[in-house]
Amino acid sequence: MLVFAASDKGGTGRSVTSANLAYHRALDGDDVCYLDFDFGSPTAPAVFDLPDVLTEAEGKGLHSYLKGKTGEPLRVDVWARTEHPVLRTRPSGSGRLVLLPGDRTGGEFVTDEENLHRCVDLVLRLKREFDVIVVDLSAGRSYAMDLALAATAPRSALARITTRWLVYHRWTRQHVMAAAELVSGKQGIVRAGVAMGHDETALSGAIRFVRAAVPDLQSPLWSQARPEQSVWMHERDRQLEAMAAGLGIGKTRALASIPLEPVLQWREQLITYEDVVDSRVANLETWQAMGDLAQRLGDDKYWGQL
Amino acid sequence: MGAQESTPRPARPVLACGEVRTCLLPTRDAVDERAAETLLRLRADERVRVSRRPNRCAVSPDVLTGVDCRLPTANGAKVRAIGTVAARAVLTEGRVLQSTAYFAAPADGPDSRRPWGYYLVRPGLLVPVGRLPAAAVAEGFLAGHRPEELDVGSVAESLLARISRAELLDYDTPLNTASTVLRWAARPAPAGSEPSLRFTVGEEGLRTVALRLPEGTAPAAVAGLCEDLALHDWLLTTVGDKLDGVRLGTDDQAAVRKVLGPLVDHLLHLWMPRARLERVLSGLWDALEETPGFTRQWDALAQRIRDQLALRALLARREALDARLTAR
Repeated sequence: MLVFAASDKGGTGRSVTSANLAYHRALDGDDVCYLDFDFGSPTAPAVFDLPDVLTEAEGKGLHSYLKGKTGEPLRVDVWARTEHPVLRTRPSGSGRLVLLPGDRTGGEFVTDEENLHRCVDLVLRLKREFDVIVVDLSAGRSYAMDLALAATAPRSALARITTRWLVYHRWTRQHVMAAAELVSGKQGIVRAGVAMGHDETALSGAIRFVRAAVPDLQSPLWSQARPEQSVWMHERDRQLEAMAAGLGIGKTRALASIPLEPVLQWREQLITYEDVVDSRVANLETWQAMGDLAQRLGDDKYWGQL
Repeated sequence: MGAQESTPRPARPVLACGEVRTCLLPTRDAVDERAAETLLRLRADERVRVSRRPNRCAVSPDVLTGVDCRLPTANGAKVRAIGTVAARAVLTEGRVLQSTAYFAAPADGPDSRRPWGYYLVRPGLLVPVGRLPAAAVAEGFLAGHRPEELDVGSVAESLLARISRAELLDYDTPLNTASTVLRWAARPAPAGSEPSLRFTVGEEGLRTVALRLPEGTAPAAVAGLCEDLALHDWLLTTVGDKLDGVRLGTDDQAAVRKVLGPLVDHLLHLWMPRARLERVLSGLWDALEETPGFTRQWDALAQRIRDQLALRALLARREALDARLTAR
C-alpha cells in the first residue's frame, strides 16, 4: 500500500504522526518504509532518533535521487541505527522499518518527466520489498504533491497499487477550514488530480483526514478547568464538529483523532509502549490512537466513497 | 566491417566485470512462457531465448548502453574507457527476475577516442584510452564506483525498472523480498594455475565475486555463471530471512501460514544450481558447495519447512480427532 501524508499548514503533526503510524505498522509485522519528501525541512531523522542521518543524506537523499544525481537513494534501517534506547531492540515478530531520508539542502523543485519516471521506478522497487510505503509530503500544495498525483495517475504503473491519502489538520477553526480547502478547494488535491487524469470519485474516496493534537475534554489535562472554561470549550468543540461536517470533513471522513500529547509538545518523537507503561510520561490514549490509525489505514471498511 | 578493418582489433579481453540484480517478479503468480517472452522482448530485431530443460528460463536479447567515462580503480588511477555496456534480463520459472549489466575490456586501446562506429562493432566491450591496469580496475570495480565513474549497477537497475513497468504485472507479490546485488570481476587465471572463485557476502544485500578464469572464456558465459550464483544466493538469503523472524514453535497458525505457504508455493522448487553452465565454469561451483556449502544450507532450510508443515498437519489431525471424541 502506498500512503501519502499531506497537510495544509506546517505544525500539524503530520510528520510525527506519520512516523508513529509507520512504527505501529512495523510493530504489527508489516515491512514498512518511510519516504521523507518534505524537501527543505526533513524532520524524520529527528523523529526516528537518527542524528547522523541528516549529514549522511547530503547528496544521497531522495532529492538527489529524483534529480538523477545518485542512482540509489540512501536507506536507513531504523531498528539498527536509531539511538532511541527502546527502538534499538527490535521486537520479535515486527517487520522492517526503513527510512529514506530527504536531503537537508535542496528545497522545492519543479517536477518534470525525468523526476516522475524516477519517482515511479523507486516506488515500484520499494513495493517488491515493503507492505506499506509512507510518503511524507511537505505542507500545502507543493511540487512534491504534484509529483505524487502525477505518479499515481491512471496511466501510470503506480495506478495498480492501492493508494491512500491522509490529510492532517489540528483541531482549530483555521486548520479545519484549511484542510477542507486543501482537498476540495480550487487549488486542492482533487481538482489537481482530476486535471492529471484522476477519476474524481476514486481520488476523493482515497482521501481521509487525521485530526492531530485534539484536546480530549474528558482527560485530566482539561477536566480540571474552571466551569466557565469547560463550558466554553465544550461549546467550541461542538461548533467545530458542526463546521467540519459542513465542510465535508466530519467524523465519517476522519480516519483517526490523535489526542493532544504533552510529550509531543516538547519533542517530535515516537511514542513507545514503554513511554506509556514504564516511564509513564506519555498517555495511553495517544498510544491507542496511533494504533487505531495504523489499523484503520489497512481496513477497507474505513475507505472508499462515502 | 569496411572502414573499421583498417584499425587493428584490440587484443582479447583481459577483464570482464558486471553486476547482477535479483528480485522476485512483482506479480501474484509466476508468469507463463508467453508472458515471459513479452516481458523480456527488449528489442524488436532479436528473439527472447527460452529454454525448458532442466528448468524454465527465458533470457532477453542484449541491449547496449554507450559510455565514455572513467573506470573505478582501487588505486585512484584515472582510466578512461569508451564503448558499450551490455545488459540482459533473465526470468527463471516465470518467478525470479534478474538483470545483468556487464562489459569486457582489452589490455590496451587507441590513445584517443575513435568514431562511434569503432566501438559499435564491438558490443559489450569498453576500450581503454591507453593501457588498462586490469588488477586495479577489477579491485576498484568490486569496491564500488565513486561519483563520475562508471556505474553499471544503474544500467542493470534501469533495465529492471523498464521491465517492472510492464502492463501485465499486478505488483501484488505473495511475499516481500529484498533484492540483492552481485558484483563480479573476472580476469584470466595466471598460466599454470586453476580457475578460482572468491565469493563475499557484504552489507545490505551486496555480494562480490572475484574470478580467475581460463583465458578466452566468453564474457557472456561468465555473466551466466554469475546469474546462476546470484539466483541461488538470493534464494538462500530470502528463505533464510523469512524463517529468521518467524516463531515456528508458536501456535500462531496464521503467521506461520503467511510465511511457509508462499515459500512452498513460489520458491522451494527453484533450486537448481549449474542448470545451464558451460562445462569449464561448472567446476567453480564445487568450491562453493564445499564452503560455505550452498546446497547443504538449502537442503537444511527446505527440510525444515517440510518438517514444519508435516508436524502441523499431524497436530491439526490430532486436534480434529480430539474434538470429535469430546463431542461424543
